[in-house]
Amino acid sequence: MNPLADLLSERLSKTQVVEGFETERWAVCGRVPQAVVFPESDEQVAEILSLSSEEGWHCVPGGRGSWLEGGQPPQGVDVFLSAERMNGISAYEPADQYIEARAGVGLDELQRRTRECQQWVALDPPGGDRGTLGATLAVGTAGPLQDGFGSPRDQLLGATLVTGDGRVLTLGGRVVKNVAGFDLLKLIAGSWGTLGMITSATLRLHPAPAVDRSLLFGGSDVASGAALACRLAQTPLSFAAVEFLVPGNEESGAGASSPLVAVRILESVDAADEAERIVSERAGTPPVQRLEGEQSAAIFDNVRAMEEGAELVLRLSLLPTRLPELVEMTSRLGGLYDPTAGWGMRLAAHAYTGVLRVMIAKVRREEAWLDRANALLGDLRRSLEAEGGSLVVSQGPPEIVGALGAWGEPGPAAQFIAGIRAAFDPASILARGRMPQ
Amino acid sequence: MTDEPPETALPEPLTKDLGDRLRGVVGDAWVIVNADRLLAYESDGLTAYRKTPRAVVLPQNTDEVSRVLGILSQEGVPVVPRGAGTGLSGGALADSDAVVVGTARMTGMIELDPDNRLARVQPGMINANLTKAAEPFGLYYAPDPSSQSACTLGGNVAENSGGPHCLKYGVTSRYVTGLTVVTYDGKVVELGGFGRESGGYDLLGVFIGSEGCFGIATEIEVRLLPRPEGVRTLLAIFDRLKDAGSAVTEIMAEGLLPAALEIIDGNTIRAVEASVFAAGYPTDAEAALVVEFDGIEAGLAGDVERAVAQCRKAGAREVRTADSDEERLALWRGRKKAFGAMGQLANDLMVQDGTVPRSKLTEVLGRISEIGARYDLTIANVFHAGDGNLHPNLLFDRSDAEELDRVERASTEIMAVCVEAGGTITVEHGVGLDKRRYMSLVHGPEELDAMRRVKSVFDPLGRMNPGKVLPDGPDTARATP
Repeated sequence: MNPLADLLSERLSKTQVVEGFETERWAVCGRVPQAVVFPESDEQVAEILSLSSEEGWHCVPGGRGSWLEGGQPPQGVDVFLSAERMNGISAYEPADQYIEARAGVGLDELQRRTRECQQWVALDPPGGDRGTLGATLAVGTAGPLQDGFGSPRDQLLGATLVTGDGRVLTLGGRVVKNVAGFDLLKLIAGSWGTLGMITSATLRLHPAPAVDRSLLFGGSDVASGAALACRLAQTPLSFAAVEFLVPGNEESGAGASSPLVAVRILESVDAADEAERIVSERAGTPPVQRLEGEQSAAIFDNVRAMEEGAELVLRLSLLPTRLPELVEMTSRLGGLYDPTAGWGMRLAAHAYTGVLRVMIAKVRREEAWLDRANALLGDLRRSLEAEGGSLVVSQGPPEIVGALGAWGEPGPAAQFIAGIRAAFDPASILARGRMPQ
Repeated sequence: MTDEPPETALPEPLTKDLGDRLRGVVGDAWVIVNADRLLAYESDGLTAYRKTPRAVVLPQNTDEVSRVLGILSQEGVPVVPRGAGTGLSGGALADSDAVVVGTARMTGMIELDPDNRLARVQPGMINANLTKAAEPFGLYYAPDPSSQSACTLGGNVAENSGGPHCLKYGVTSRYVTGLTVVTYDGKVVELGGFGRESGGYDLLGVFIGSEGCFGIATEIEVRLLPRPEGVRTLLAIFDRLKDAGSAVTEIMAEGLLPAALEIIDGNTIRAVEASVFAAGYPTDAEAALVVEFDGIEAGLAGDVERAVAQCRKAGAREVRTADSDEERLALWRGRKKAFGAMGQLANDLMVQDGTVPRSKLTEVLGRISEIGARYDLTIANVFHAGDGNLHPNLLFDRSDAEELDRVERASTEIMAVCVEAGGTITVEHGVGLDKRRYMSLVHGPEELDAMRRVKSVFDPLGRMNPGKVLPDGPDTARATP
């Protein structure tokens, strides 16, 4: 055993510490931890983190390890803390519309359980429901439902967080409105494990809608599809989601597939029919497909899963009315990928928020590819930032993320980022490097 | 008001030099040091507390705020931001060494972008005026605190304000997408911004609701919503408060999501009906429940029908529905005018603000009524029942020190009851001065310490709205009659 794993095993049981070759599957952005630990309680997490703070070990908290390649790479990983063994739904009150669970519970389990009572968790992060509650909150990325229901931080009513120096903080509560003191919960969502390990969380729930219906409209080309998505998002009715999609080539690689606009309607029966009539009228054409119930949910699950198998995932954004321009900019990325490899390039945009996900199956690697890729993406980022937008490298080859950084310029807010971090993790052991510096 | 001087020390006037420098930034007329004029700033919506600031400065844009804060910071003078002063927790009160920086001159619309459903406004804009400006484009601003015709958006940001319709639509933090803020030292920082995903912590989220303790928001970017196609309102009258509570539970259990679910109790009904605001509610009733649905017109009739059925099942003796806007406003009148009406029953009103999980409403209301009886106080309840947000109103007369003491003790017990039921001590009014003493009911020492550390990231020297929110330092809050 390595000395680090030895020390950890003294504090936890041996079955809670993994070392050696088995740690390889827990590599974070290619960085293999010296040990992976599976704490079972807040106290154990606190003990591991206090010890690591004393020893100066770099720690990365995580869930089941289903998306370890994403984000800005941490500088180093000595200990990976998995929430996998922190399981169970600790409180579910359908009448009060909240559910409280340990961080290692999967979103799929939360959805299953709440569906029994005609409720649901209005979260649809990229990747589907296989991730854990803790990881979903730590990453904090919203999906197509953001406009209608808010992002992960808006579903979060309360959480337990163990800080870098082993303090156990109970934040928020079980009620929807709460202004008792500074809202530290907001910092937790999207903090990528740099402020602490989330060990449990309470989410608000919504009543399950009577109708879940998706209407798919076809666009003759990418530009007209993006324009249609914009037009539908500006309808004076709010739909649950309006998503612009270019699904990429079929495996044959026979040119870009044609775009689709998917509108999701979550309403009562009468309202859904009326919404459908209005959308169709506004679209000017009948939908090419109309999906109801589980099939409607499934098509949006597919949208979430579009990143699967991608080597590079970018998130581009501008104001929603500029979606067509944003989509047009992706034509600049032509030299970046191999259009014949797999599905080539996929696009998926949230028309309400103006976020466009660009997914590339295989980055082209020819001579000087890296310089070209960095120059191209660097230019794109700069031009978006100049227009008030952004480019985030959500996931990518280490060379690209390493050179470009996942995040853009944090600007003058950077001074606060360092301060907040120090307030929760004074020894700076948690996922160091994952936040913009 | 009494003629006796306040017990706190008389405000120390600004030195000539400091006054001149501030006047040099904002103009002579906008630095207030005259004792008579400072009286307007000695209190906010919670009249039990009074303090006179050293001076009031009224800048008109980000640049002036930045220069004013820069000067005050150099001189080591504490700053208290203030909007319209409608707050209900004493959060805008300044000690005699502090200068109030008010947003009263910063009321402008900076940009309205109807296509992106965004507005960028100055912090002194009145909440209702934003909706008025957005109306021609079929848009509105969703958070609607009861004081929306007077309170400012800057104040809403500071308090993370709610309102009756946040049951369906959520509170201020769901709508604010970006802020320009000025920190204690005059530094201007942009937080958030719609249309971009900046990495890093959600500084925007933690700033909202920070009650002026982190800095001053000088520009606010908000998301607007399209006006719902239709609205339906119904009013159900109950002989027992607990039946109204059950109706609320049943309506939510039906899977309905009303835009608002409001209850006013018997004491409030009688106060309203005895006032000029009489809304035609029966005075022998013990509860009136206002239920509102909005959304796609075609779906509303069905929602109303199901809600009416649940009200009747829960024992409503009468259910009124509104078809026209005029009738709708009439049904709301009793709820909207409740605070005004209570003002006629007593000189002073302590509006409490707590929350409990919805299923505990009936039980907690029973305990509040028992507390009122024990302290011989009239308590009238108006509340956002859908999200369990209670507003027990304790009526009293400030000049009666003994009564005020009973109000304080009853308030403390009410807070403890809310926390015990799984709720919290403030839901939309903020902690300010008044609720600092209850903070330890809901937060342990570690959590309070974490809040203190985060504050010091924005305000390392403790210059912004000192003595608020965190239960530090002496409780100098209470003014004496």
